[in-house]
Amino acid sequence: MFRSATRSSSHALGISRGPLPLRLWRAKWLYLALLVPVTLLLLFEWLPAFSALYNSLYIWNGGKVHIYVGLEHYERLLSDRTFRVALSNLVGFVIFRVVMQTVLPFFAAEMIINLRSARWSYWWKIIFVFPMVVPTILNYLIWRFIYNPQVGLLNEGLELLGLDAYTHAWLGDPLTAMWALAFVRFPWLPTLQFLIILGGLQTIPHEVHESASIDGAGFWRRLLYIDIPMTRRQITLAMILTMLFMTQRFDLFLVMTDGGPGYSTMVPALQLFQSAFSFLEFGYASAIGVVLFVGMLALTVINLRVSSGAAAD
Amino acid sequence: MRKRLRYSLGNRDLPFQVVLVCFGIVTFFPLVLVVITSLKSNTQFYHNFWLPELPFQLGNYSSAFRIIWRYIVNSVLYSGTTICLIAAIASVAGYVFARFRFPFKTVIFLAFITLIMVPGVLTLAPRFVLVRDLGMVNTPLALISVWVSGGLVLSTWLMRSYFESLPQELFDAAYVDGAAEWQVFTYVSVPLARPMIATVAMTTLIGTWNDLIWPLVTITDKSKMPLAQGLMQFSSAYETDWGTLFAGYVISSIPLLCVFAVAMRQFISGLTSGAVKA
Repeated sequence: MFRSATRSSSHALGISRGPLPLRLWRAKWLYLALLVPVTLLLLFEWLPAFSALYNSLYIWNGGKVHIYVGLEHYERLLSDRTFRVALSNLVGFVIFRVVMQTVLPFFAAEMIINLRSARWSYWWKIIFVFPMVVPTILNYLIWRFIYNPQVGLLNEGLELLGLDAYTHAWLGDPLTAMWALAFVRFPWLPTLQFLIILGGLQTIPHEVHESASIDGAGFWRRLLYIDIPMTRRQITLAMILTMLFMTQRFDLFLVMTDGGPGYSTMVPALQLFQSAFSFLEFGYASAIGVVLFVGMLALTVINLRVSSGAAAD
Repeated sequence: MRKRLRYSLGNRDLPFQVVLVCFGIVTFFPLVLVVITSLKSNTQFYHNFWLPELPFQLGNYSSAFRIIWRYIVNSVLYSGTTICLIAAIASVAGYVFARFRFPFKTVIFLAFITLIMVPGVLTLAPRFVLVRDLGMVNTPLALISVWVSGGLVLSTWLMRSYFESLPQELFDAAYVDGAAEWQVFTYVSVPLARPMIATVAMTTLIGTWNDLIWPLVTITDKSKMPLAQGLMQFSSAYETDWGTLFAGYVISSIPLLCVFAVAMRQFISGLTSGAVKA
């Protein structure tokens, strides 16, 4: 009973003592207050989650067809060529995005906190957050225009520079499609990661930087020995977020290429979507979902372990 | 001496400013080009890709608006309803979790909080079946119910932390003055929690405004589509009419732009606290 808040309120309602049925009865208004959210969560969150676990063991078309097949879906995943391609696409994509979406905002944030003028720091932050007002879907549509083979910004730009030989059907070629997708939204900073890292850098006390510069540390040394170690938590968080976003969000792939050409831009989440909504294989889709869930959980735990372990050293 | 110092201070920022300006230009270039192109006819666009050209085709905007406005209205209604519901439910639930002890509190709270680890892809397909069996497909209810329950996880947690941080003396004073619990909630706690409610609202707004996949599987009627889904329709219908297409893009960025202009601080804090739910 170290938290006075709970003591006094429970005292006010007199529900902290007595036999269980009595305490339940006295708390009836509290349960009533929680009834709506708990019902919503049980119905729309917990039920589908368990349904996914359960139905991954069944052949299921989302309707009447419901046949128990045990772990067959998981075995099928092991030998599914599409899934293997999708997985390797995803790994490459995620690694690239994690690096890009950490390095880019880090350097932008580093520039900004290095400014003497607080007013400019503030405005640069606003300026780089600004692209956030563009709806996500428009990012994809604008980049589809950039990669357009006939009148795209990229090809037109190359022609303007006299590099006609390098113009390309960026999204139409299996060799470049994944790279094109990896660079979607490219110079735009990932808002969330940028704000997290900027927040981290801003908490480093001025004295630390001052004493470093007195000791003769230049920009790069300071970066390496002060700023990166001191924002390790924020950097890890930014990386985990990018990783989780990129693993489960497939609207990018759906809008830009729908997995094509061939399977060159297929990713597991998109395969899940297609299994369920194009082929009505809800059981198989659930199995893919379970595998993704376990994978993401494992990666998050490993990532947190590694970073907290490193921080403890 | 003073002169030299000032000089060196000004100079110190210069390299960073130069890099930032270059970066800013590259960032805004695609957006500027979209605005420029939205003022052109197709002939003007094919003739001159880069530069704005007179006369400006303002007609692009009116023909785009005739299609886009409905999607924007839909999105405002759906997101608005979701925000109000989440704000109301999460404040009450957060307050209950923060201020009371009751049997099974921990279990119930865990039922909220563990959902942070459950990704949307896992639940997508079974949730669709559920919503379909409940007869909610192609109704706004399909979107709102799922958005509310999904948003509650983080919002309740945020509200609970906020209410826990309020000092006990505040509540004691209210109790001493003879306030009933609901009065303490409505007249003391909620007004104090306004910044956190704004943050919750902003997180919800950004999440629902940009959600594409869930409407894609549940809404089929064009007149009921939210903005993200409507834009996809719009972009395939006007695929080669570049001026109108980009005018539509500009129009559909305006609502969030207004929110950003009015409530920049909440916008940014809403984003950052959204980080907790991955």
